[in-house]
Amino acid sequence: MSMKRREFLKTTAGAAAALGTLRGRAWGQAKPVRIGYTLSATGPYSVGAGITQGPNYTLWQAQANAKGGLLVKGQGRRPIEFISIDDRSEHETAVRFYEKLATDDRVDLMLPPWGTAMNFAVAPVANKYGYPLLGPTAVSNKIKDLQLPYFYALLQQPDQIMGAFAGILKELKAQGKISKIAIAYVNDLFGIELNASAATALKEAGLEAVDVKSYPLGVKDLSPVLKGFKAAGVDAFVGLTYPPDNILATSQAKEVDWNPPVWLAAVGTAFPFYRDRFKGAEGVMGIAGWNPKVKSAGAKEYFDAHVKKHQKEPDRWASAFAYASLQILERCVAEVGLDRPKIKAMVDSTEFQTVAGPIRFVKGSNVSTPGMVGQWQKGEFEIVWPKGLATGTPVVPKPAWA
Amino acid sequence: MAGKLALVLLLMALIAAPEILSPYHRSLALAILADVALAVSWAFFSGPSRYLSLATGAFFGAGAYLTAIVGARVPWPLPVLGGALMGCAMALVVGALALRLRGPYFAVFTFGLAELAKHTLIWYETGVTGTVGRLLLAPPGPWTLYYTVLCLAGLAVVTALLLRRSRWGYALVGIGADEERAETLGIDTTRVKVGTFALSAAFMGAVGAAMAPRWTYLDPQVFNPFVSFQTVIMALLGGATTVAGPIVGAVFLGLASEILLLKFRYFYMLGLGLTLIVVVLALPSGLAGLASRLRPSPSPLPRPQP
Repeated sequence: MSMKRREFLKTTAGAAAALGTLRGRAWGQAKPVRIGYTLSATGPYSVGAGITQGPNYTLWQAQANAKGGLLVKGQGRRPIEFISIDDRSEHETAVRFYEKLATDDRVDLMLPPWGTAMNFAVAPVANKYGYPLLGPTAVSNKIKDLQLPYFYALLQQPDQIMGAFAGILKELKAQGKISKIAIAYVNDLFGIELNASAATALKEAGLEAVDVKSYPLGVKDLSPVLKGFKAAGVDAFVGLTYPPDNILATSQAKEVDWNPPVWLAAVGTAFPFYRDRFKGAEGVMGIAGWNPKVKSAGAKEYFDAHVKKHQKEPDRWASAFAYASLQILERCVAEVGLDRPKIKAMVDSTEFQTVAGPIRFVKGSNVSTPGMVGQWQKGEFEIVWPKGLATGTPVVPKPAWA
Repeated sequence: MAGKLALVLLLMALIAAPEILSPYHRSLALAILADVALAVSWAFFSGPSRYLSLATGAFFGAGAYLTAIVGARVPWPLPVLGGALMGCAMALVVGALALRLRGPYFAVFTFGLAELAKHTLIWYETGVTGTVGRLLLAPPGPWTLYYTVLCLAGLAVVTALLLRRSRWGYALVGIGADEERAETLGIDTTRVKVGTFALSAAFMGAVGAAMAPRWTYLDPQVFNPFVSFQTVIMALLGGATTVAGPIVGAVFLGLASEILLLKFRYFYMLGLGLTLIVVVLALPSGLAGLASRLRPSPSPLPRPQP
């Protein structure tokens, strides 16, 4: 398979080169730009990696190579060659392979693996060898403690996400649509940080959760928690979840016959398969950041290209940021070439226009994208908060479970 | 003589390795040495005593998380020592409770240990410290880690060799053969079992502590049952009743899985599985057994000295 793929790439590159020659330019000599990464194809990280990152990497590569390759300053277009392995969701394997990419393969650029812990594990390697690493799936308040100048985080961080949650809940409460908020969170780093940020954000908004419950990663039954919230008359459910527990909580809410006016959950809600699994999931809210209706240039084209290449829609949160990270690299390489310190300098000092909106980094964190809340409405995950970026208005109370 | 010469050469190569190898190959050597230490220390208890322990992941995880907690606040070899003590202490408690269990019961109990440790830690971190996971900033350099793990692997091998030649080692074999008879013969079986189990756990904790700085960020998922299984597979693959067996198994599995992973992006799992099946079917006494089959050897155990 790997051989065939390489052959295929060579053929495509060859064809592109031939095409270039016909146009009267000497493409024949173009050496590929070699880009290395690992993504989990097996193990617990494989689901997220396969939805949010993998499809965008291959889409971007195919698009660039169809144009004759990546435009490198002063060198014309050079085809993109990926060097990648399955990291088996193991940190040790990923760290070792990034060392290999830097010292053995001496790749031109690196792309990040999937997930916060994986990004944390390989970021010091990228930093040591001076590879800018733009992570679209690293979410943690600890990122700023890393102090690795070559590492960048594109996604909204816990404080921003929970700020948006608190913002919309405050308004709904002022409108008299909700009165009692309850939180359930997964007790690993992600859930714990979100919960800590939630406590601060709710307090600032003058709100208070009537109940806060934690549950372990890999939980198999959340109905006791849901029943407890139902009995307490909770009308705004906030789930700080991963995809599996999000799906579990949603199915079980229906089973225990609980349909609170606000159902707001973290990761997983923005996946198209969540919508399909719950027959439209009408009225369900979650962390948002993107949909094809946003005003960013190229958003709709990106959506269509993703559907065309992979026969599936991109998710409505991190996917577009994964693609945006590649747009950022592409623009830097076009303007400063493959000199990595120069790329870093440009990433540090530029505001980029991407399919996910403007992105600008301050000390490695994207400061241009605010926290957002989305809601499934008639098949689209409309952004309903903050109002300045909204593509729809919140529907509360949500309709009954389908 | 030739054997000794080869051994000296091998040692010199291992010591010189970080100088010669690229950072990637040095990391690969480091990972394999860590596996050697785990497999050898697993085998010097489970091999002769025939108590199948699946607790490796628990001891390894405890050592690793300890390094993450103390971080850069203590100078380097101390976290490794701490990891050893941690593993040892856990094994003493668990051993006293669980070594009365035989056969599959013991295996299942030790398997549960990693999960128990993980959830206890999560409960503690959530309730007491309010955070889960630690960033390990300013880790020791790769050379330091390499030599630490090399020392641990060497120590594990020496321990295994000494143990085999000692009364204690024979007592362990006696327990493996027939525990009741061993007890009738006057062997303090509990002491021998718990003691050796704790010694092997000390190595596992130390290896965990030494490897932790490689991953920058650690959370309770470091209590990984996969580590337990992999250790057993390596030891059995090489041959659990010899000292050379686990070493051969760890090196073989480490190299094979790396090569397959790099060459066959999509099919390496299949390749690895097939390799394992073939080895187990064709070589019931492990890869090291192959060597002793080719070279006639009177007995897998040395005779007791008078």
